[in-house]
Order: sequence, then structure tokens, then C-alpha cells
Amino acid sequence: MEEIKKAAIEKITTHFREVTAEQHNGNRVDFFIGKEEIPAILFYLKDEMGYNHLSHIACVDWLEEKEFEIVYIVWSYTDKIKIFVHTRVDRENPVMDNVDMIWRQANTYEREMKEMYGIEFTGLEAPEEFLLEDWEGPPPMRRDFDTEAYAREKYWERPGREDARDVRETIIERTGEELPDFAKKYKR
Amino acid sequence: MREKATTLYIGPQHPGITGNMMVRVKVEGDTIVKATTEVGYLHRAFEKLIEKRNWLQSFTLLCRFCVPEPDPVEESYARAVEEIEGREVPERAKYIRVMVLELARMASYMLWYGGQAGSLGLYTVGQWSVGDRNYILDLFEELTGGRVYHMYIWPGGVRRDMPEGFEEKVLKTMNYLEKRLDDYDDLMFENSIFQKRTKGIGIIDKAKAIEWGVVGPPLRGCGIKHDVRIDDPYEVYDKLDFIVPTHEGGDIWSRAQVRRQEIRQSIRIIRQVIDKMPGGEFYNKVPNPQKWTLPKGDAYARTEAVRGEVGMYVSSDGGTHPRRAHFRGAAYVHGITLLENLLVGENLADISAIMNSLGTCPPEIER
Repeated sequence: MEEIKKAAIEKITTHFREVTAEQHNGNRVDFFIGKEEIPAILFYLKDEMGYNHLSHIACVDWLEEKEFEIVYIVWSYTDKIKIFVHTRVDRENPVMDNVDMIWRQANTYEREMKEMYGIEFTGLEAPEEFLLEDWEGPPPMRRDFDTEAYAREKYWERPGREDARDVRETIIERTGEELPDFAKKYKR
Repeated sequence: MREKATTLYIGPQHPGITGNMMVRVKVEGDTIVKATTEVGYLHRAFEKLIEKRNWLQSFTLLCRFCVPEPDPVEESYARAVEEIEGREVPERAKYIRVMVLELARMASYMLWYGGQAGSLGLYTVGQWSVGDRNYILDLFEELTGGRVYHMYIWPGGVRRDMPEGFEEKVLKTMNYLEKRLDDYDDLMFENSIFQKRTKGIGIIDKAKAIEWGVVGPPLRGCGIKHDVRIDDPYEVYDKLDFIVPTHEGGDIWSRAQVRRQEIRQSIRIIRQVIDKMPGGEFYNKVPNPQKWTLPKGDAYARTEAVRGEVGMYVSSDGGTHPRRAHFRGAAYVHGITLLENLLVGENLADISAIMNSLGTCPPEIER
């Protein structure tokens, strides 16, 4: 397996200049590459090296670094190696190349990322809505999206629920029971 | 004369749909000319909630990713966390995990029997198989405390050891179910209605299957022998002796045949696991979960569920909470791009049978 991993790293590093490789234990190899090269490296992996199964596309929001990380995980049924291709996208202006002509199913992942993270995929042909319906707020899976604040601002209290309060307060009032210390930390 | 096309909405409340989703189909007569999957009825923001919880607290959500078979999701998350941290898992825990995964596979196939046959009007099969599934759920109840949701597999091993005399009970249930499988063959696979309505329906193109991301029984139903348990062995599957059944054809019938044989392989695996079960520890204890931090890194662990490859991508920023846990379900591919393709040209009445044969699971698509 080590030879296959070495050969894969050598092929990719000779073919693409701006790429760094990282070896992991087991059958895993990581590549870090600029976002412009993503379609090219995925095409190369699929057509030239036989990594024809797209396992997953994941997106991670690195809020502090002002970047999104997109990870493409591909698998070769012959080499039995999984390759992670990492790339970073600017958080302020998230535009990414669309790869659904390489794998049709990438379309679904991209639709979800567009909705949940607000990443624009150039040339993505898909219906407007995927999971969210009539959504006007900011993309909800971003780290700076505060679910509670959004709900408080967007939705109103149901009539008759104005006095709704923490159930623990009711318990204290009715029974006089003292809350354990660890429970006091979680205030509503 | 060309018939006028009509748009029909199948779902979200429809007995033939495998959950809360909708297929919008354009039909000419009763032939489908275009199909679009519409989801969004079930989004529970689990992945957002997981980011707000520590490494252990997310297990109450993980098992709800896919209701019929929750264990592979727990297992893939647990294994991803272990991979990031480099935590060792005791040998006994690995064997118990394989047993739980295979029991879950059988329980899920029992439900599939009912769904697949029910979609073609053979309701008796479902009544039998759901009754037999309860024997497996009884085992789960004794082992984990829960019948459907277990929260049993977690980082470092499993939550409890097996109770006394549990092995005998498992073997007894396996002996019973093995005999029952012949009855299912007579009732379902020998039935001429079942054969007529499944052969040649919903054919997946063998040449395109891998590229389209088909996994699991639908892929093996095309005659392609790929299974995560063999290709990328996890836990102790490499120490067990079992075969991966395949069937040529790519239609509903082939997928049903693959599943039919896989149940028998599951029984074979469970018997071997019980035979080889080592003693010793079952849990490598994690530190106080409120303070438990993982090193920076990421991992993707994949498991073979009944629907095919499911996996969990977990990313850690070195803190007490996951940075991101992103789930890959087989239905994410099967239920959208593949289903939309397969339905074109098929009969309106076969939508439900095709969806069941692909194992479309909407909670897995939306999470």
C-alpha cells in the first residue's frame, strides 16, 4: 500500500505545481491545492488515475481564518486508497468552480453548500431551493449564524405564551428545591 | 395523437414514499418523462446542533440520522473521532460492534422486506417480517436499553458489556430467523406478481454505475462486487469469512436477490463473531467529556450500511466540540440524482417499488 501511496503522491506533485501532499496512516493521502486547480486535479484523479468514486464533499467554516475549507474525498476501487483534496475559499467572496460535469452527484452537494454556506458555484445548474424554503436570512450553517438570535428576531411569541419561562424556575417556585450547581450554568 | 403531459406530486404524504419527501413527476399517460426529487420537509439541523455539543453529546442526534438503521452512523462517527485522537479500541469492543452492525443490518432488511413487498401490494410479507424484526429489537433492548435508537457504539468502544447468557439468545434468534428466511422466499421471491413487477424494472446502467456514485446493494445488483467491508475493512471484518453476493441485471429483482443473500451472510458473520468473541475490556475510557479535547485534524470514516456506503467527515479544531461533522448518506446520491435518472421512462405505478429497491431514506438526505 505504501508504494501505491507514494506513486500517487509523485504523480500528482509532478503534474500539479502548487500542491502539497501529506501522508497519513492507513490508506489515506491528503493534497492541499488552490481552488482554481480543483476541476483539473479531480479530472486527473478520475480519468488518469482511476479514482472514480466520489465519496464525499465536505465544507468546514474556519471563521477565525476568514476562509471556508472544502474537502473532496475520492476513492479508487482498484488502488483502495482514499484521497482527500483540500482547498480554501475566501469567506468574504466565496466563489468556487462547479464540478458536477465530472460527477453528476456533486450537483447535490453543491446545492447544499450554496444554501448552507452561501458559496457560489460558477455555472451550477440546479433548481433554486434545496432544503430551505423561502429563506431570506444569512446562510445558516455559517459559524457566525446565531440560531437563537435569529429565531428571537424572526418569530413572535404565540399568544398566551407571554409568561413562558424556564421550567427550572417553576420547579424552584413550586417545590422550593435548590438547583444543583452544574444546572445553574445553563441559563436560558 | 400525442398525449398531453401532466404533472403529479407523489408525496410528501404518500404511502408509497419511503419517508417525508416528494417526487414531482411529469407523466404522459402513465409513463414518466421527467422526475424531480423535492426535499426539505424533514430538515432538523442536526449538523448545526452537533457543532454546539461536545464530542459525546451528539450521540442522541446521530442515531436519528437514519431511523431504520442507526448503528452505522454512530459507528462511523465514533471511528472518525478515534482516528483523529488515535484512541485504541479493545478487541472485544470491535467484535461487539460488528455483531451490533450485523444485527442492525438484519433488522433493516426485515423492514425492507415489508417495504419492497408492500410497494407491490404483497402486504402479508410486511406483517411477517416486522414481527420477526421484533426478535432482533428484543436483543437490542437487552443489550443497549433501546429498541430502535441504541446510542451504544461510542468513542473508545461500546457502552456496556454483553449481559450474561446473551450469546445463547443471539444464536437462538439466528437459528429461528434462518428457518424463517425460507418462508420469505416462498412468499415473496416465488410469487409471480413479485417477479413480473420487478424483473426489467428500474435498470441501472452497469457501465455508468460507479461514476454515478451507486453503492451498496444497487451496485452489487449490477454485478459489480464492491463492499466497504471488503474494500476498506474496518473493525474486524478482515478476520471474518463471508462472501459478498452479486447479481447481474441491475433491476429491482437483482437488488432484491442481493439483499436476500446478504441476510444469510449476516447470520454467518454473527455466528463467527460469537464463536471468536475475545474476553477482556470492552471500553477504553475517555476523559471527562466536558473537558475532553481532540487534537486538530480531520477524518472520514465509512461504513457499509444496508443502503450502501455511509460515512462521517469529522473536523476538529483542537477544542471540546466538533468543528464540523458532515454526514454522507447513500440516499444522498441514490435518492436525488440516481432516482431522477432511473424514473424516466418507467411506469407511474413503479415509483414506489424503485424507491424501495434503492433504499431511499429522506432523513439521511436532509439531516
